[in-house]
Amino acid sequence: MNEESRPVLVLREIYKSFGAVKALKDVSTEVRKGELITFLGPSGCGKTTLLRCIGGLTKPDAGDVFLDGERINDLTPDKRGTQMCFQNYALFPHMTVAGNIGYGLQVHKWKKKRIQERVEELLHLVRLDGLGDRPIDKLSGGQQQRVALARALALEPKILLLDEPLSNLDANLRVLMRASLREIQKRVNITTIFVTHDQFEAMSISDRLIVMREGIVEQIGTPHEIYEKPSSEFVASFVGYVNILNGVVRHMGSETEPTVVSTELGDLEVLGSENDIEVNQRVFLIIRPETIQVRPYGEATEINEFKSTVITSMYGGSTIKYTVDIQGKNIVIDQFDPCNVGIFEIGKKVTVVIPQNVHILKK
Amino acid sequence: MNEVAEARITRRSRTLWQSIKDFVAARTISTTGILLFLLLATFLLWPLIAVLIKSIAGSEGFTLQHYKNFLTEPYYYQSLINTLILGILTTTVCISVGFIISYITTRGPRFLRKPLKMLSLLPLIAPPYIFALSLIILLGRNGMITKALNLNWNIYGFSGCVIAQTLAFLPLAYLMIENSISTLNPNLEDSAANLGASEGKILRSIIIPLLTPGILKAALIVFVMAISEFGNVAILSGRTPFLAPDIYTIVTGIEMNFNMGSVLSMFLILPCAIIFVIQNYLIKGKGYTTILGKPVAAEPRRINPAILIPFLLVAILVSGLIFVTFGVVGMGTLTNIVGVDNTFTLNHILDWRSNMALVNSLRVSLLSGCFGAIMGVLLAYVIVRGSFRARTALEGIALAGFTLPGTVFGIGYIFAFNRPPLLLTGTMMILVINCMFRFLAVGMEAGINKLNQLSIEVEEASLNLGASTATTFRRIVLPIVFPAFMYGFMYVFMTSMVSLSAVVFLVSPGQNLASVFIFQWANYGYIGLASATTYKLIAIVGASLAIIQALSRWTGLRPTAAGGGV
Repeated sequence: MNEESRPVLVLREIYKSFGAVKALKDVSTEVRKGELITFLGPSGCGKTTLLRCIGGLTKPDAGDVFLDGERINDLTPDKRGTQMCFQNYALFPHMTVAGNIGYGLQVHKWKKKRIQERVEELLHLVRLDGLGDRPIDKLSGGQQQRVALARALALEPKILLLDEPLSNLDANLRVLMRASLREIQKRVNITTIFVTHDQFEAMSISDRLIVMREGIVEQIGTPHEIYEKPSSEFVASFVGYVNILNGVVRHMGSETEPTVVSTELGDLEVLGSENDIEVNQRVFLIIRPETIQVRPYGEATEINEFKSTVITSMYGGSTIKYTVDIQGKNIVIDQFDPCNVGIFEIGKKVTVVIPQNVHILKK
Repeated sequence: MNEVAEARITRRSRTLWQSIKDFVAARTISTTGILLFLLLATFLLWPLIAVLIKSIAGSEGFTLQHYKNFLTEPYYYQSLINTLILGILTTTVCISVGFIISYITTRGPRFLRKPLKMLSLLPLIAPPYIFALSLIILLGRNGMITKALNLNWNIYGFSGCVIAQTLAFLPLAYLMIENSISTLNPNLEDSAANLGASEGKILRSIIIPLLTPGILKAALIVFVMAISEFGNVAILSGRTPFLAPDIYTIVTGIEMNFNMGSVLSMFLILPCAIIFVIQNYLIKGKGYTTILGKPVAAEPRRINPAILIPFLLVAILVSGLIFVTFGVVGMGTLTNIVGVDNTFTLNHILDWRSNMALVNSLRVSLLSGCFGAIMGVLLAYVIVRGSFRARTALEGIALAGFTLPGTVFGIGYIFAFNRPPLLLTGTMMILVINCMFRFLAVGMEAGINKLNQLSIEVEEASLNLGASTATTFRRIVLPIVFPAFMYGFMYVFMTSMVSLSAVVFLVSPGQNLASVFIFQWANYGYIGLASATTYKLIAIVGASLAIIQALSRWTGLRPTAAGGGV
């Protein structure tokens, strides 16, 4: 097993309830060394609770947390080698930037000179050179976020825990901070767990995602796998908009031959799927809006072509979002580059092309 | 209609409205402001000036002779020193214990939080000198413990005063410190703990520095209370001189030396004024605003037993003392002469003499509660929404009335309102006015907090829809500040029921108040009657609070200070 894929953190059958609310139900997973893994899910799905169980701020009712092979369930947060960054940063408002970053070092009785050197190094890492003497409330939100990060990194924890770290920033800054966070994480090569409810943020920053719902892990995988091959209707619709068609398998395909599924729209030909499906199996077809094409109205003779009418159209610059009506079923389509492709007015008849490589889910 | 055209019309009518509205609003608010300023000046500043004048008034013109007498008389000098030491000791112990208890009730074991909080706040509904009563019953010359152990020592003197004052003003210290400790973001402590800080280190480097502004505020209030609310001190001091009870003796006793009483008052004001200035002008603005977002409610941090256990012991000991106090005063109520003749009796409770005073107290407190709360909210509105310069002066005068010693306002009212056109001495009105003006700052601060949360746009929307300033205030602002109004009412009502230091100078024979009545009988040594009246007073205050709670639950409007106030 190579160094990169060795699991640093192993969670085994974690359970946690708050009164009658079951926050975590049988959660097991592994986190590999140096990776950035995201716990993604709607609020109340247990992602923050799971993070707090790892950081030692919450005690699981049952299950084990192993860090580097050592069971750390009963260790206090400071003895675990994990470091938590809170959503509100929890910076000490009465200290300077340097005072905040050096706090842990000072607690661990580092020499003044060494603290100073380490703080300089961290300030450089988070691109806040020269701001060490600033009071905390004289920093922008993004700068405060980076101070919190530097403070957490000061003691070189084995795992960095980030609880919705970007949620207090405005939209543009979020995107910038996302990139800079990822860059710092790669540079320090620190194993990081990131909690968020924002699927775009999660997909753009992570090596792997853990999608959670109501205390249960729904799916673990790379952003690509989660988006293209969601394991459930919930995952499919949580990581982006999807058109979901109900269908029955009419004919099983092979490597060369498409599978035929009859749906609300009519028969669809679908290419290769790893799912173990069979004829007469009831399935969902998961179709992302950006994979569907709209054409000027013409005879729909080709495979997977349908005649339809535009119901709504929303212009968004780089894309245009249509809702079209096919056989009484509404389908959402994202068309890129509308300037060159052309814009279809509401009420206009169009031809819609459903792609052959769609994801099939067993019902 | 075309949307653009519609928007344009709205905008034009808005500017027209704006100018009319601005004109009316500016005048309504500033007229109210001037009126309020005159009232505050008359009833809070003028009495203080009257005391100052009296302290330098001679037979012909002004003289410093009275000050000279004060400084050359060792008795007064000793009295001043004693008062300062009493204030400092009481404040130190109150703040430390208040901090410890609020630490336990916000971070300690969950099952202990509620009961500890209730016990710590219990003395608020009783007159502060209930502790003098219980100490006399336990440790007085004929006290239960004194006799049981055959002690030669008794509680009269310096130590008794400190103990009684500490227990009496602990609830106030606790309330204020708990208020600021509960606004601390618990993640700060989590972070520090995560970085390896011990419990002691977290206390020293995070919690205490962040609480310092709140603690200093509490310290000021407790200090002033400790040196001016002199019920306990007068009853327990024995032969030890203190300024506040001396003022009482000099002004109301055979001497009737108003000039010397005023000089003593000036020396009572001096330390308070110094702290008030330090607190309001030097520390103000040093508070740390919590950065970004609300504290996340989460599982409490486990407190290290090395800190938790000693804290718990202190908290339990002190709340135990409070519990015992209410117990022994209860015994005092139900026995002939507690400790001497312990036969059960209902005579003290049935004694009719206290009833008149209780009725008067209730009447005065209800009136001052209502007027005080109304004025507090009006002040808050004028301060937050007005645009004239004297706004800060308004707030400052109201706060000074709240912070400066009640004793001084007691004798100040005698001097200020004893001749026409402001002849008020001897009336019930003077008691109502004194109580409402001294305590209205609490409702005002709560109102300011509430109004700062209400965005001006909501009011503008109402004005835009055609409502006048007065209508807007009644229909929009009042419902929003109503919780602050209730909070102000509760504070003024409760404090008026139990406080003594000012009204003791102002009651006239026909219209005694319960707090004064208890004080007088306790001072004469009639513990049974004093205890029984204390319990009746507690019952009335408790029942009133219960009614307000029920009402607020019924209407859904809870009295809140919105994170501020005292």
